[in-house]
Amino acid sequence: MSSLQGYVDRRVILILQDGRVIVGVMVGFDQKSNVVLSESKERVYSMDEGVEEIPLGLYLVKGDMIVLIGELDDAVDQAVDLGTIHAEPIPPIRY
Amino acid sequence: MLPLSLLNAAQNKPMLVELKNGETFNGHLVNCDNFMNITLREVYQTNTEGDRFWKLKECYIRGSTIKYLRVPDTLLDAVKEEQNRARDAGRGARGAFVSGNRGRGAPARGGRGGRGGPMRGGRGRGRGA
Amino acid sequence: MLIFSVFKTLTDQQVTVELKNDLSITGVLKSVDQFLNIRLDNIKVLDEARHPHMMAVKNCFIRGSVVRYVQLPSEHVDTQLLEDATRRESLAAVKR
Repeated sequence: MSSLQGYVDRRVILILQDGRVIVGVMVGFDQKSNVVLSESKERVYSMDEGVEEIPLGLYLVKGDMIVLIGELDDAVDQAVDLGTIHAEPIPPIRY
Repeated sequence: MLPLSLLNAAQNKPMLVELKNGETFNGHLVNCDNFMNITLREVYQTNTEGDRFWKLKECYIRGSTIKYLRVPDTLLDAVKEEQNRARDAGRGARGAFVSGNRGRGAPARGGRGGRGGPMRGGRGRGRGA
Repeated sequence: MLIFSVFKTLTDQQVTVELKNDLSITGVLKSVDQFLNIRLDNIKVLDEARHPHMMAVKNCFIRGSVVRYVQLPSEHVDTQLLEDATRRESLAAVKR
């Protein structure tokens, strides 16, 4: 799973199979793509209200729950006022 | 840092475990293995809807059913420090003992060398006889 | 294993990955592993207005198990070669 190496110590966004979106700093991973995030927050999206950020702290996510891991461009991410963003939550995975 | 090093360091620490079906378990970690099978003690269980609760003295959770674990923030620094100590100790002993994720390659190599040594010796004696 | 090789020949090409949560992501294929996990650079989510979640994401790792389709650039896929290789592989599997 060499492809996760570049994300260590970076701020990343995690999309899970149940549709949850979590941002945090990737502190580690293993060959099953289990991931450890520090300073993690869940971003809750809805159409009626702006994005809500819920602090989660230190999180270990099982690899089989992961859909996508993206590297955040901090400058772009911080420029966005999450409170103004209205969007549908990401749908859960359906096989 | 390997996820399993973090989990190992979480023994006796409180944690929240959510299963793939949405049930959650709050308790102290008693034990874990490399499959992330875990046992918790003094557990509060909630159902998927979050409206029913159970108290369990102890429970076992199969690793493959876990969605995520939430552990105390302080564990991160504890594991990092422990790894630094182990690395320094390893350097001191000229790599004889290394643990933690930085050493993942090192002990394997050491192990193989160790196993190779006596085996070669054994074969040598066999031919001699 | 054959499809793994096909993906490897397509590194640095533009592909579109459709996920099983209906998200579609276009980007430059940077790498792929034996699980068909995919690394994309310079990504863009289709229908960004509906999916602003990834606005600040420049590159990403996608788990192979959640990919529904990958749209390949047809001009970079030698279908004749792929057909031949597929026959060869299935023949080898039968012999084994």
